[in-house]
Amino acid sequence: MRKLIGIVLALTLAFTSVAISTAQEGLTICFGFQDLETEFWVAGHRAITQTLRDQGVEVLEFNANEDPNRQLEQVRDCIAEGVDGIIIIPQDGDSAVTIVNEAQDADTPIAVFNRPPNDRERGIIVVADNEIITEQAVEFMAQKALRQYEITQEPITPLILVGALQDTNAIGRRDGFFNVIARYNERYPGMFKEPIEVATEWDAATALANLEAAITANPDVDFIFTSSDFLFPTIRSVLEPRGMWAPTGDPNHVIMGGLDGDATACMLIDQGYVDATGVQDLFLEAELTLSGILDAIEAGDYQPNAVLPDPGFALTAANIQYQRSDMWGCVLYDEGFLDN
Amino acid sequence: MTILFETRSLTKSFFGITAVNNISLEVEEGKILGLIGQNGAGKSTLMNLIGGVHQPDSGQMLLADKAYTPRNPADAKQAGIAFIHQELNLFTNLTIAENIFIDGFPTRRIGPIRFIDRGQLKRETASILEWVGLDVPADTVIETMSPGERQLAEIAKALYFDARIIIFDEPTTSLTARETERLFEIMRQLRDTGKAVIYISHILKDIAAISDSIAVMRDGVLMAQESAESFTIDRMINLMVGRKLEQLYPPKTAQSEPDTLLQVKNVSAKGLVKDIDLSLRGGEILGLFGLMGSGRTELARIIFGLDQFDAGEIYVEGKRRTANSIRNSIKNRIAFVTENRREEGLLMNVSIADNTTLVSLPQFANDLTLYVNQQALSDAAQQASQILQLKSGDITTQAAKALSGGNQQKVVIAKWLLNEPMIFIMDEPTRGVDVGAKYEIYTIIDQLAAIGSGVLFISSEIEELIGMCDRILVMSQGEVVGEFTRSEFDEERILRAAFREGEEKPHAAVK
Amino acid sequence: MSAIQTEHEPQTLNLKRIKATDLATSGSLSDRLVRWGKKLLLSDYFILIVSIIAYVIAAQFFDRLARPLNMTNQLSNMWPLFAVAIGQTFVLIIAGIDLAQGATIALASVVGAMIMAENLNPDMFDKLPFWGSILTENGGLLAGSPIATPVAVIGMLVSGLLVGLIVGTLITRFNITPFIASLVGFIFFSYFALWLTQSRNISGLPESFVNLGDSGELISVYFGPKLDPEIRRRDILAVVTASTVITLGLAFFAGYLLNRTIFGKHMIAIGTNPRAAEISGVPTRRVITLVYMFSGLCAAVGAILYTARLEIGQPTLGGLNLLLDIIGSCVIGGSSLFGGKGSIKGTFFGVVFFVLLGNILDAAQMSPFVIDAVKGLFILIAALLDYTRTRLVRVEQST
Repeated sequence: MRKLIGIVLALTLAFTSVAISTAQEGLTICFGFQDLETEFWVAGHRAITQTLRDQGVEVLEFNANEDPNRQLEQVRDCIAEGVDGIIIIPQDGDSAVTIVNEAQDADTPIAVFNRPPNDRERGIIVVADNEIITEQAVEFMAQKALRQYEITQEPITPLILVGALQDTNAIGRRDGFFNVIARYNERYPGMFKEPIEVATEWDAATALANLEAAITANPDVDFIFTSSDFLFPTIRSVLEPRGMWAPTGDPNHVIMGGLDGDATACMLIDQGYVDATGVQDLFLEAELTLSGILDAIEAGDYQPNAVLPDPGFALTAANIQYQRSDMWGCVLYDEGFLDN
Repeated sequence: MTILFETRSLTKSFFGITAVNNISLEVEEGKILGLIGQNGAGKSTLMNLIGGVHQPDSGQMLLADKAYTPRNPADAKQAGIAFIHQELNLFTNLTIAENIFIDGFPTRRIGPIRFIDRGQLKRETASILEWVGLDVPADTVIETMSPGERQLAEIAKALYFDARIIIFDEPTTSLTARETERLFEIMRQLRDTGKAVIYISHILKDIAAISDSIAVMRDGVLMAQESAESFTIDRMINLMVGRKLEQLYPPKTAQSEPDTLLQVKNVSAKGLVKDIDLSLRGGEILGLFGLMGSGRTELARIIFGLDQFDAGEIYVEGKRRTANSIRNSIKNRIAFVTENRREEGLLMNVSIADNTTLVSLPQFANDLTLYVNQQALSDAAQQASQILQLKSGDITTQAAKALSGGNQQKVVIAKWLLNEPMIFIMDEPTRGVDVGAKYEIYTIIDQLAAIGSGVLFISSEIEELIGMCDRILVMSQGEVVGEFTRSEFDEERILRAAFREGEEKPHAAVK
Repeated sequence: MSAIQTEHEPQTLNLKRIKATDLATSGSLSDRLVRWGKKLLLSDYFILIVSIIAYVIAAQFFDRLARPLNMTNQLSNMWPLFAVAIGQTFVLIIAGIDLAQGATIALASVVGAMIMAENLNPDMFDKLPFWGSILTENGGLLAGSPIATPVAVIGMLVSGLLVGLIVGTLITRFNITPFIASLVGFIFFSYFALWLTQSRNISGLPESFVNLGDSGELISVYFGPKLDPEIRRRDILAVVTASTVITLGLAFFAGYLLNRTIFGKHMIAIGTNPRAAEISGVPTRRVITLVYMFSGLCAAVGAILYTARLEIGQPTLGGLNLLLDIIGSCVIGGSSLFGGKGSIKGTFFGVVFFVLLGNILDAAQMSPFVIDAVKGLFILIAALLDYTRTRLVRVEQST
């Protein structure tokens, strides 16, 4: 029994300390996210929470751990709490629709960050146009490939690491890649062979296994695009033992690009291994999300609807000097994120 | 002659029952001592005292003329006393070498870390194995070995510890004739190198052949310890059986009826039983005697449908059994009280009432809704427990594990009683039951027969079979080797048959 | 045996003596507190009481916990978890474990959606295995038909039963341990669900199906004055919904099976001592298979509730995290992983514990990096308390 009382006391103390730290006045905004397993999401999470707190807004954070049901429950809790607005990073485009409807039906403004709902009619939707960002990065890579093709007259063998296809981002990135390849093949017939698709399911282990198999079957690959930068270390571990991991200028260099613009990509562009990466302008997106939701709150609009696009940009070996401060990965890199 | 080990007036009792009574035994160096006695004669208790499992109430033990007082099995091992049990103490998932050295591997130091020295481990193991004549590599995993090889591995383990006294407790039951021969050879070798060997066995012929001296125990008392030459097998049996039957059994009220309830014809199951014939009539109590491993339990399991047989036929109330299954047996109103209450008889954590009604549950349930009439169920359980004079608390809430051994056995019997059985197979129904409860169980058996059931009563205690049965069948090595009717009952002759030591041809089995 | 029995005798006497001295000094406040605490600890409702006390204490610090809407939210979160956990309880009682439940939820969700979805975009779905046959641009098999929802529900329940039948058969006919058999079921059917939909969610479920979940409000209440002509949606509390009725119906049915029928008694016999049960004529194989089928059925009911509230058929519904909550709820609620023990009531309390714990931890706004560790810690505390409790119960029983 004494033990029980002790535990109850400990419970009480634990709650007290937390309670003090969250007591604040002003607006309250709920932020529901998935997990913090890649640095992109860490950076996104940080961009949103910090910007909000800088403006004196109280933030309630909820981690749904990639379970859309959990996120729905958490959004309901936020509604019960009576928060002024909700920002979510949904797990997928379909559950996002249900969750947005749930919030709007309960008169709570909601914004969706980075992974858009399939139905873009409702809610404030901040969306990076994956297709366009991808096209910018792949365009730069294709330019470089074209120069190589004109010299050697050898067709280029392209490879793409595809994300999980229930994710609209992954679909957009894949489409962007194929658009550019098709465009160049139209203009310069025979320049690109049929692209090799490697499924990753957004999972490094899956990517590693599938890429190993693909490269073994096609050792002549000389053009690699990854749908997300977090797979660069995986690519490196496959290419390096085969002597294919070489900086630009080296005859063994594989033209390489990605998307997201994380700290590793920034470093690899600096070092010349990677040629380009499509960058979502995370800071712009956070700004857009916040101003969208705060404007709606101010206007007393409980069901604000808007699609706010992020055009993004391609960070390349050519522009890294003057664009690095806009790119979240380089910011992390320059802060020493990769040092430890 | 040097006496290496002796006990002086060693006594041990458990809760008023004297298991070892004033025993003074001598074990000589370089000699084999054969130890015999019926089940429950106190051999195991005596060995447990020597092995440090129990401590004596009085008396003392001397090892090489020094007081020897083991407080636990490790002490005994330390003192150089090794046990080789019928149930082996080997880790079946490890290799022979690992088993031998389990208490202390030879190690080699590399820097600050000590590693197991595999090379030395292998060399030492190989030399021990060679000595016991076990021709397998040191890294053979135990579970891949035959029972005989395991026995040899166990001996190798005992030898490694440089035991001075090696006790073999019924080591041959799982061995083939050749393995047994090899074992005896090793025992002689051990004797010749100056070790003392104690050999416990039910096989009197073996005892006579290999022992230098023989000790006989009965009811906790040492009846005799003499040199082997002076012992005939007759005398051994006389000394083991001894006393007259007392009034331990209820008066017989049941009468055998003419109709045959169960008939087993030429039933064989490979490795278990061979060519079994038996018949059981209504109202009859048929005893089935045999030593451990004689096939008596195996036969019971086959009749009940727990195990299958390869050849032969079983008839229940004149009808041939086609599907040999448990549920078929239950439908034919056969009951089976297993020898192992804890593992096969009871649901220990479940209430007495639910245990009692487990077999007859369908009688209390609606076929369609499966609804169980709880009231009818507990009434029936209550009635059964009253008939059997169960001593318990509230049977609907008290768990079976809270009962004493005798009362637990009554619950098992009650469970079958509610199914109104015609044929009752009882395997060691009085094992682990105190004397008072034994009498009650005998009474129940007699009453079962009195209402026309046939009872197949399996036991390793001859006395209770003689006290209770109309007929006794004797089994040995999977075969029925003798049949005795009530007028022929004689403990000595029955035991002789079980040991296959008949001076006369055993009676032919039932046709 | 008789030896052990007699050995216990003096101990029992001892305990009685201690109790007597307890009584002699009764009356002082601390003694009364101790006795009250012991009574609480021994109560069947222990976990429920602990959960509620913790919740009430936590609500002093986080007023959001005490809001009525938060409470009805928690209630609605309990039903689907409880539905699935009922099946798991049955499996634990027979000393098994059903990991396949995690995949059954996903499979049932997808199967239901494939029957009743009202439209499918060919750009996204034309790579699916059954495109053109079961699935078309117009939607699932019975899209738009009035019987779409009932057939889909039956289809979901049948897929649950089938998964259970397969797992149960693996266990009873091929002697595969429940852990491996259901793990195989989990992996296989997880990927089967992903394959069926090629990892895509199927949206556009009919209104009549969505109303089987939390949206199907049966009794809703509104507190406060009617000032506005329209009451805001978030002020209406859905106390009883379709999911409440479905889950409680399932719970009462399960309770009937477990406590009132021959089937329940056979389950407990098998969970306590399978050898003794078999020798006593219990049809062990049949009962075990049926229990796994019931477990699959419960998972399918959970799938109906989860799918209805998300309004999509999702091939990743359920999964490992949910599975841990399910098994955790059962064990906290008194089911034993060694079988023979467990109750529907206890499992409900376990579910209450898990849902309220999640709610409290969310309300406490701990860092996402530590929140799961803290959750683990509280589960450990609950388990330790339960351990103490079981020991106390044993001591009490032996006196």
